[in-house]
Amino acid sequence: MDLALTPEQEMLKAAARRFVAQEYPKEALLQIASPDETTPLEPWGQLAATGWLGILIPLEYGGEGGSFTDAGVLFEELGRGPTPGPHIASAALSALAVLEGGTESQKRHWLPRIASGELRLVPAITESDYGWDEADVRAVATVADVAAVDSDGDGGGGLRVNGVKAYVFDGQSASHFLCAVRSGESNDVALTVIPADAPGVRARGLPGFAWNLSEVRFDNVAVDAGDVLGGGWAAWRRAVEKAIPVLCAFQVGGCQAVYELSVDYSRTRIQFGTPIGRFQRVQDQIISLVNHLDAARWTTYEALWKLDAGRDATASVRLAKAVASEGYYQACNYAHEVHAGVGSMTEYGLTLHTAASRTLYHYLGDPKQHKRELAAALGL
Amino acid sequence: MDFEPRYTPEQQEFRREVNAWLKDNVPAGIVHPADPAGLTWEQYQLRRDLGRKLGARGWLWPTAPVEYGGGGLDVDHAVVIEEEIDSHGLTLPPYYDSGGRLGGNSILVWGSEEQKRAFLPPIFTGQVRTWQLLSEPEAGSDLANVKTTAIRDGDEYVLNGQKIFVGSDHGCDYMWTITVTDPGAKRHENLGWFMVPSHLPGITIQPMDLLISGGESGAGSGVKQTVYFDDVRIPAFNLVGGENQGWKVATTHLELEHGTGGRIGRNWLVDRLFEHCRSTNRRGQPMTQDPDVRDRLVDVYVEAEIVRLLNLRNYWMRHSGANITYEGPQASYVRKTSGLRMAQAMLDILGPAGLTHDPELGAADGHMEAHSRAGIVAIHPGGTTDIQKVIMARRIGIGREVREKAGALS
Ligand SMILES: Cc1cc2nc3c(=O)[nH]c(=O)nc-3n(C[C@H](O)[C@H](O)[C@H](O)COP(=O)(O)OP(=O)(O)OC[C@H]3O[C@@H](n4cnc5c(N)ncnc54)[C@H](O)[C@@H]3O)c2cc1C
Repeated sequence: MDLALTPEQEMLKAAARRFVAQEYPKEALLQIASPDETTPLEPWGQLAATGWLGILIPLEYGGEGGSFTDAGVLFEELGRGPTPGPHIASAALSALAVLEGGTESQKRHWLPRIASGELRLVPAITESDYGWDEADVRAVATVADVAAVDSDGDGGGGLRVNGVKAYVFDGQSASHFLCAVRSGESNDVALTVIPADAPGVRARGLPGFAWNLSEVRFDNVAVDAGDVLGGGWAAWRRAVEKAIPVLCAFQVGGCQAVYELSVDYSRTRIQFGTPIGRFQRVQDQIISLVNHLDAARWTTYEALWKLDAGRDATASVRLAKAVASEGYYQACNYAHEVHAGVGSMTEYGLTLHTAASRTLYHYLGDPKQHKRELAAALGL
Repeated sequence: MDFEPRYTPEQQEFRREVNAWLKDNVPAGIVHPADPAGLTWEQYQLRRDLGRKLGARGWLWPTAPVEYGGGGLDVDHAVVIEEEIDSHGLTLPPYYDSGGRLGGNSILVWGSEEQKRAFLPPIFTGQVRTWQLLSEPEAGSDLANVKTTAIRDGDEYVLNGQKIFVGSDHGCDYMWTITVTDPGAKRHENLGWFMVPSHLPGITIQPMDLLISGGESGAGSGVKQTVYFDDVRIPAFNLVGGENQGWKVATTHLELEHGTGGRIGRNWLVDRLFEHCRSTNRRGQPMTQDPDVRDRLVDVYVEAEIVRLLNLRNYWMRHSGANITYEGPQASYVRKTSGLRMAQAMLDILGPAGLTHDPELGAADGHMEAHSRAGIVAIHPGGTTDIQKVIMARRIGIGREVREKAGALS
């Protein structure tokens, strides 16, 4: 047994930490988060230049061929920002979906572009009847006039997609969507790649505390049948299972950041002539926080390890998502208790995490859903 | 015991009177923005107009003494007014004003006769609104650590310093504040409590950018401000409670702010949540039919009932002259932590719809989204949850010989 990171992983961690500190200082994060700002592509370009967007993509498809644990190390650091996507959406979830469900030629076509950052492929799955099950997908794809839609001229035929996707995470920063659609003919659910600038596609951000959620409308959008991933919903489910611990690592990074903020603040904030960390009530808040952090960390890294080791990871993955989602949510609450007034000032930066923790609580399923699936995985 | 208010025929007659009056006088156009920052100037004026009308009848501050502009009514009648205004989704006063309930009480208890005659009638009749200016960068929980100074100069005091997290939108007429009057004196013996006219030269007001201004829903507290005092000269007459007696004066409004006043009324947020779940279909059936949603709705209901009963108890205790000790901070502590738990229950129930005020994809006109922010921010004003526990422990007498007494109320 060895729970330490490898020297290479330590180097990756240090480099990613430097990157986040340099490219995403608090001021930049606050500016990106302000309602009248569209996500600037500049830090994205820097992130792409590191090659990290290909961390989960095999070498033969232009990626770095990293392990799940490597990806966890990277995304934990990105979570410290919290840095805006669509890195989880594109480089983790969509990359895995293409790997699991794409044909060989689809993989050759999409994966190098995801790795280079040229393609920001964002899954658009959920709808207004919010849920992550296959049954919740209602957007419809119908077979269309072949000649009209066969843009690449391979005679593969075409589809028309109609529907509204709701609460799409990172929808506004997508260059392409990976849209779950139900076949008008067979009723099967499939995922298809649709350019965000295709005629009939419209994305708009949802205002409020939500962190980068959008509505994306598809009005009679022409899709080349060659852009439909072959693997269907089953492949998507496999991809989700592998992407979840990477998302959890991002949540762990968030917990770590608010933990450090809280400890620092407890040392420097003076009330009643003493640092507030001297008060046992403040200590209690930070101790609860660090317990959530460590629970999230170790459930997450064990799940990542199981994926790398080729073990059955289903139960671990469900456990990690339930614990990390609750953990990040509560960690932010405790951090707010410790900081009191200052923590609710936008300029302080804590609320960036609070917003992220609320949205990620639900992304790819909330704790309740994962506990239920955990019960099934345990054979109960 | 009897939890149900029994109304005498005379009270029932009074209820009919209040009800009819409110029907005629509550403006049709009053709206209830989910985020208090959404209260427009026009809406604020509608609420102020209603406040002045209520004030003219003595219904704005029903139990305040008649000689100072209050209604002079007993609790039995005040209850009726509060219940009726609550049924319009409004509170008394129908806008954010920390003067009547908090500062006004301090003046009643500690002010001289002349001061009561000068300051109270405008407050109790709704002619003015006042803000509470206590917190400073170095004085949050440790309020006695304020650094703002008010130094005597002839018949005036000269104020210098900075207050944060205070006030609301759309200005005020008076600010009541606590400052250092004797920099050389011991802690708690160095402070003065002032009524400061807000139009004086040297006062600068700047909005703060907060997650939300707080959970003071219904009363439209608006945006919190930073207030700077630069050589602001105020008449010595405006010092309430005497030289270096500010801490004593403050204990009265702090006590009330810690929840000791109690409250009658429902939690409108819970009603809105229930209504949303009844009227919204998910997967082909009303959300209220989903067993998971039902469980969490009941959790919310349980939280709200406990808070309601603690507030009701405090209201009863205050008005029946019972000996109040830890009950105020207890109600405050439970309300705050309960608000946090409710926010998570709402997120479980609503999913990401609870995180947006989008007209199509949000829930309950944005009221749920607002609470996802307010639940967090509202744990701080009027003393953090930790501070409520500190006070409760002292009042219960945990680990000490002498139990601390509650502050004096009017
Ligand atoms: C939305 C909002 C509205 C507000 N409205 C007003 C207003 O109208 N007027 C006004 O004057 N102020 C207002 N405030 C300020 C509010 O009263 C303070 O934020 C609050 O008293 C806490 O002070 P602080 O933020 O400086 O936190 P601090 O006092 O610095 O507290 C930091 C942490 O230390 C803990 N702590 C401090 N002392 C102790 C102790 N002795 N024992 C145990 N734990 C301790 C706290 O619980 C907290 O966890 C408002 C604040 C907010 C957020």
